[in-house]
Amino acid sequence: MAHLAADPRVEQYARLLVERCLDVQPNWQVLVRSTPLARPLVEAVQGAIAERGAYAVVRLNWSLWPTDLVWAAEAPLDLVGELPAIDRAACELMDARITIEAPENTRQGSDLDPERRALVRRRERVFFRRTMAMEIPWVSCQFPTQALAQEAGLTLPQLEEILYAACLRDWDAERERLLRYLQLFDAAEEVRIVGPGTDLRLSLSGRRGEVDDGRTNMPGGEIFYAPVEDSAEGTIVFGECPAVYDGHELQGVRLRFRAGQVVEASAATGEQALLAALERDPGARRLGELGIGLNPGVARPMRNVLFDEKMEGSIHLALGQSYSFLGGTNVSAIHWDLVKDLRQGGRLVLDGRIVQAEGRWLL
Amino acid sequence: MEEATRRIARRGAYALPRLSFSRVDPAWTRRAPSELLARLPAIEAYELDHADCLLVIEAPENTRAGSEVPGERLTLRRSAQRPHVEPFFSGEKPWLGCQFPTHALAQDAGMSLAAFNELLYGAVLVDWDSLAKRMRRIADRFDAGDEVRIVAEGTDLRFSLAGRHGQVDALGANMPGGEVFYSPVEDSAEGVITFAEYPACYDGRAVEGVRLRFQGGRVVEASSRTDEDFLHATLDADEGARVLGEFGIGCNPGIQRHLKNTLFDEKIEGTVHLALGNGFPFLGGTNVSAVHWDMVKDLRRGGRIELDGQVVQDGGTWLI
Repeated sequence: MAHLAADPRVEQYARLLVERCLDVQPNWQVLVRSTPLARPLVEAVQGAIAERGAYAVVRLNWSLWPTDLVWAAEAPLDLVGELPAIDRAACELMDARITIEAPENTRQGSDLDPERRALVRRRERVFFRRTMAMEIPWVSCQFPTQALAQEAGLTLPQLEEILYAACLRDWDAERERLLRYLQLFDAAEEVRIVGPGTDLRLSLSGRRGEVDDGRTNMPGGEIFYAPVEDSAEGTIVFGECPAVYDGHELQGVRLRFRAGQVVEASAATGEQALLAALERDPGARRLGELGIGLNPGVARPMRNVLFDEKMEGSIHLALGQSYSFLGGTNVSAIHWDLVKDLRQGGRLVLDGRIVQAEGRWLL
Repeated sequence: MEEATRRIARRGAYALPRLSFSRVDPAWTRRAPSELLARLPAIEAYELDHADCLLVIEAPENTRAGSEVPGERLTLRRSAQRPHVEPFFSGEKPWLGCQFPTHALAQDAGMSLAAFNELLYGAVLVDWDSLAKRMRRIADRFDAGDEVRIVAEGTDLRFSLAGRHGQVDALGANMPGGEVFYSPVEDSAEGVITFAEYPACYDGRAVEGVRLRFQGGRVVEASSRTDEDFLHATLDADEGARVLGEFGIGCNPGIQRHLKNTLFDEKIEGTVHLALGNGFPFLGGTNVSAVHWDMVKDLRRGGRIELDGQVVQDGGTWLI
């Protein structure tokens, strides 16, 4: 954990998170959850929070608070399924939260058995509830680590370049750009996604979208919707980027929808994890999100959903929980984003009109 | 930490692990407004108030981390925490402070990590039942006594334990344990003590040659060879900082030398320690302070302890 020279980008990154994403106000309790490798950013964030006259409530552990994976592997199941009162209180009392992922190994936790994993997800619902409902400001981001670089097939300096290019942007200008696409989709009823092996229609009728102009996610750079729950019809193949679920990598996920529900599912690898995810609960078979990636700083998939879903020329669909503030009504313990790159042979069609082909906008 | 977490899980209890880069979080503490330093955030207050027990594992990368934070800021933070940690320190709820061997701790002790490892486990993995019995005999003797006098070169200090009883730390709040400790009568200390053998370590500082003169229980004169400003600032932290909160007698035979590490040093057999500041209410202590600064004095070369006029320890060897 030696940091030989301070990277000025870390300080800018911290200010972006504290001042723009959260706009921290005096006396707030800002919950910062992370792991030790994020130390330079955590400390810069603590300083920026202090300067705003607020509390930094740092929750640092080997795995992301509120679940310790070593504990969760051996504790009695009833305890694994329910947060202790102390952590529930923190969930209710926090005024904002920052999640900084900085994994030492992106596969940590993949050996937790499925029953315990489901219980962990249940206990953490208390934590995610207020942020999914947008009751408090929140942001999820990453600090560059060797594990994330390795996952992306990059060196650490290469990953740092991409991460900071995607995050340290003029977000007011990005917002203007995102709003233009939002108007286009807000006015549309039917979205059709076409590509090799793919022809899926879904409805946004009566739904409005939201821009992520660098607030809840860093990097931001997407517009997203809760599609009408019973509208998805057709087939989609996620052939370009692998999907990751609970530490398992899935290649070539193919989903067929009828009346909004997945009625057929397969994958070239990791099919069992796919089927298990769909069996989680009734809501896991429905779409909770349609997102359109619009961040020009993310040019290639990195096996990293936070970045991949922002890639310009990609769309993503999430199975499971939808955003109630966007009119979504689907309820599920999962919210699993699957990213599809449309830059090779894909197109987006709005109410019969092609608006994007091969990842390029035709507006 | 992982092993402790695992064992807590097997006991069917919640583990709530909290890591921190240092004890005082300088990145926030240096720059936060002082009114925030003086009040714990509700989340942390709730957490301390509702924790059933507390396990603190120190594993510093650098024992001086946090020493750049001004003392008055640390005092504000400590005062804010005090009411919430008091139930642990007063014995209402179990707590334990211990260390995991790191290079920084070894370096302060002037040792390699391998040698420090040996020393730490030698002091920690001992037969606590038999050590507890030995310490109980010492405590019984001091419980029955009134006046303690500590005599050594540059040192002649008297204070009273009248009406006070002591505590044996065997498997209690510290690991390693190995001390018998008291809260002396608050207005009783009279005389001079010089901590010539070892530096007095607190808040990342190691203050050399501390000399304190007491009158009516309060420090009326204080000097040191190094960090004298820090010594004076700490004494001025609040009303109680000039009064003795603790008298302790080191009894752990596994610790023979000073490690610039209070958790260990105060347990060295043949030493005593005095703490300025907060006393132990469960031992009858009434002194209140945000400070609790343990200073260790080695009596093995020419020092002695007298109890009601009788020499009970001479040159670090018990005569009882």
